[in-house]
Amino acid sequence: MEIDWTALMYPRGFTKDPAFLLPLGTPPPVFELLHYLSIIYDNILNSKKQKMSHQSFSNNTNSLNTTLNLPNATITNSLTLTDDRNNLLRWLSPLDPKLKHHGIQARRVENVGEWLLQTEEFESWDAGSGGSESNNAVLFCYGDPGVGKTYIR
Amino acid sequence: MLTCRDVSSLVIDELCDQAGGRNATVACFYFDFTAQEEQSPTSMLGALLKQLVCGLEETPEEISRAYQGQRNAIGGRGPKLSDIVKMMQTTSSKKCTFICVDAMDECAAGHRVKILDSLNQILERSPGTRIFVTGRQHIRPEIRRCLAGRVASVSISPKRDDIIRYLHSRLREDATPDAMDSSLKADILKKIPEDISEMYVRATILGELPQVIH
Repeated sequence: MEIDWTALMYPRGFTKDPAFLLPLGTPPPVFELLHYLSIIYDNILNSKKQKMSHQSFSNNTNSLNTTLNLPNATITNSLTLTDDRNNLLRWLSPLDPKLKHHGIQARRVENVGEWLLQTEEFESWDAGSGGSESNNAVLFCYGDPGVGKTYIR
Repeated sequence: MLTCRDVSSLVIDELCDQAGGRNATVACFYFDFTAQEEQSPTSMLGALLKQLVCGLEETPEEISRAYQGQRNAIGGRGPKLSDIVKMMQTTSSKKCTFICVDAMDECAAGHRVKILDSLNQILERSPGTRIFVTGRQHIRPEIRRCLAGRVASVSISPKRDDIIRYLHSRLREDATPDAMDSSLKADILKKIPEDISEMYVRATILGELPQVIH
């Protein structure tokens, strides 16, 4: 039986070449590729009437990879893995404190407060890391919270 | 000028710089009183755990199993606090771990007790973990009580060098440098550090530092 690959591969308004939708020379974003691949995959699974061999499927994904300039077949798997890990991380918490850190880091005056790193308290706290000593596992620094206005206007 | 927030970010950067050499992971969290609702114990500790997991090459099996398990619940379910604590106990004992928490006093009081208690449970199972906390002085007794016998404290106040560094950086950013001559500059660098040091001495005697001085 003849399979109509064009209908399967270019469904729902996709043009024949997805790269055509993007400015010249821009690699397609990963999520678009993933979306594209998943639509094709669903289409193939859904078309139960058409019995296709595994071989013809992989031939066609290979040709798709070539059109999109992708490294070969395994890409689908690694995309799924990264996606799973990202979902898991988002499940752990929706918050992303590293972003806030980058903002504060950018505003900080170079070297201000470095004396703290040389204090005995900091050094002994730092040196105990990874060991089994539980003494002073916590270092509490107290002072001005630094919200909004500071001492000099 | 020298705020707890600056100190936190400085310490986090220092720890991150050294992390590669000693195979450590650093996780940080900044409290913000305008975000008290979303910064709950679960989302806060979850955010720390997330960073620890990112520092490992593979997701610990316990965590992937918990994640897969909840997907069977209708609409999925977020992790419970007790689960996060357990996951953090195992994850932090796999690798040398540093946890930095900024502005603990800006966390809602009810949340803070739970968070400090959870951190204490993590330390009990993983005593090599180091926790760095900043905040205003008034929460010091609470921190000492919840993290019994494990706390060293340092007071953060700008040293003379900090003030001079800060002034230099502000002078460099001056948008109208023509209005500044060298004697005014010299006066600024001399007078302000003196006045501020004196102000700090007085403020410390009074117990709490002034917020704004115009």
